[in-house]
Amino acid sequence: MYGGLHSAGPLPTPGALVDLAREFTPRVEAFGSTPVLLDLQGLGRAWPSPRALGEALLEAARLRCHEPHVALAGSRVAALLVSQGREGLTVLAPGEEAAALAPLPLSLLALDPEREETLRGWGLRTLGDLAALPATGLAERLGPDAPRLRRLARGEDDAPLVATPRPESFACTLELEWPVDGLEPLSFILARVLEPLCARLVERGRRAVSLALELGLVDGSVHRRALHPAAPSSDPRTWRTLLLLDLEIHPPRDAIQALTLRAEPTPARIVQFSLLDPAQPSPERLAETMARLHEWTASGRGGAPVLLDTHRPGAFVMGSFAPGPFAGSRAPQGPPRIALRVFRPPRPAQVSLREGVPVFVSAGAVRGAVLDLAGPWRASGDWWDVAWSREEWDVALAGGIYRIFRDRLREAWFLEGELD
Amino acid sequence: MPSALKHTLEDLLRVRRLQADAPPLRGQDRRLSPLSTGVAVVDDLLGGGLPRGQLSEVHGPPSAGRTGLVLALTTRITRAGALAGWVDPRDRFDPGTAAGAGLDLARLLWLRGRAGPPRALPEAVAATGTLVGSGLFDLVVLDLAGIPAVEIQRLPGATWIRLQRMIESTPAALVLVGDAHVAHGPGGACLAMAPGSPRWSGPPGPGRLLRGLASELRTGRHALRPVVFELGGASGAPPRPPLAPRE
Repeated sequence: MYGGLHSAGPLPTPGALVDLAREFTPRVEAFGSTPVLLDLQGLGRAWPSPRALGEALLEAARLRCHEPHVALAGSRVAALLVSQGREGLTVLAPGEEAAALAPLPLSLLALDPEREETLRGWGLRTLGDLAALPATGLAERLGPDAPRLRRLARGEDDAPLVATPRPESFACTLELEWPVDGLEPLSFILARVLEPLCARLVERGRRAVSLALELGLVDGSVHRRALHPAAPSSDPRTWRTLLLLDLEIHPPRDAIQALTLRAEPTPARIVQFSLLDPAQPSPERLAETMARLHEWTASGRGGAPVLLDTHRPGAFVMGSFAPGPFAGSRAPQGPPRIALRVFRPPRPAQVSLREGVPVFVSAGAVRGAVLDLAGPWRASGDWWDVAWSREEWDVALAGGIYRIFRDRLREAWFLEGELD
Repeated sequence: MPSALKHTLEDLLRVRRLQADAPPLRGQDRRLSPLSTGVAVVDDLLGGGLPRGQLSEVHGPPSAGRTGLVLALTTRITRAGALAGWVDPRDRFDPGTAAGAGLDLARLLWLRGRAGPPRALPEAVAATGTLVGSGLFDLVVLDLAGIPAVEIQRLPGATWIRLQRMIESTPAALVLVGDAHVAHGPGGACLAMAPGSPRWSGPPGPGRLLRGLASELRTGRHALRPVVFELGGASGAPPRPPLAPRE
């Protein structure tokens, strides 16, 4: 037995009829906000007769919406169409479906306009007219779908009910009996909230792409934080660590009385691991590590350097550290290279020259006669923007080999770094 | 056909196992293979490379080749697909020369210290602990070169023991780069480097290049005979044509 529930009037909320139907049975198929189809199998134990069940359904519907229509029938399509076509309560006994549907208008089948126009051209106005057509030749005239439409018009429907899933909500609220002050006691409470929340995510094959935390404080205010880690996760330990690290940086200004966590779900990450490629870092652990280094990364002092497309020496920006999949590369050949240990900013230097060649360098602790040297190497660029022009020398002093340069625009010498 | 595929797969796995510097396969115990520097004489001296799960150190005066050697190690690690961390309290690392040496900058997490504040070194040590404890990195470098010894001695006495204990349970190697001996683990390497003579490309004058820098390396307290190797020309320097002398 199926039940059709339809509202001809406006609904207080789009999901009002679905919510009402779920109070009677968990198996509900919604076609938009109205109509709603209910699977009433097994409800005979609670109501003595189908009419009593229909009356209970109608009475409950009258409290929620205007002009509710209820129909109970043995087939899905009969319950749905009769509920849309007849006011009040209609209970159809087995075998009465075709007769009940016959006077209803053809438009209830929601045909496409072209086909409906064709049927109207043939003089068909009601479902009964369509049901009375001979089955022979119908498919040739109206298309392969026509026999099914004829069966629907007769109230014959063997399609199963496809239950509409409940909307997923991944939120958890906890009211505390006593206010909590400090992060250490909060960590235990977070674990209590996060573990069921993450378990629910895993059950649905989901991960949380972000987490919103609302802390209700004793002073009546709400402390809100939102976390968007580099990778989605459903690991409660990772989320707890990330939340605690974030709260360490942005602590609430008063004791906590209530907390709410809302997770934004996303489908679980499916990764096909390679047998031959090196193991890649776990995104969850990487996100946790970067959160621990927040003080470095937030101030632009931590990350992966990215070289800029310019000849200006030392031009780079700090990018976020998010190593992608390994593309494979060969180890460099040949001896190791001399590295430059730069001074930021370059240290001003006093350089004595003889015939245009440095013979003595003094830049703070780096000081001495030039024992040997290479240079000069001149470079310049960005004349259209912030111009630079320099003359480089690699000089060997008693304490090491250094790179110095003369800024040709400012006519000043600088110690750029140490070659090591 | 399936047997041919099976043979191909077995051959691939065999080749990968025989390569000493091949990145570890999934599930492979990485602690067994040391980190090769790519410098044959140094790897021979160390028995294959720097040990994993240990605190090692590379120290010496300026221009001894400390940074060049550690940069070569970092380059090999990043080019093999692993991650490396470079903690730099004095902000001395130059990404341009590192990229010139072949380092994959996307696989290097560089933490730059703030110039000046007295907490720069303790912050850097704490960040080193975070990198080591994460288990994500095959190599973590803490660059202490240029930091006065008195500032290093101001760190709590258990700092290096704590780092050694942290790294023991990971497949990573922690390397200190310094001006003088600071600390190393019981199984870690202690490489003392001294500058050799630089090699120039020709007689003094325009167009001359710094071609190489010899470096002497000793390991252990009782090693008397140093190993000598050479670092190549200044890394990262783009090819530059010789200029006429300045008028």
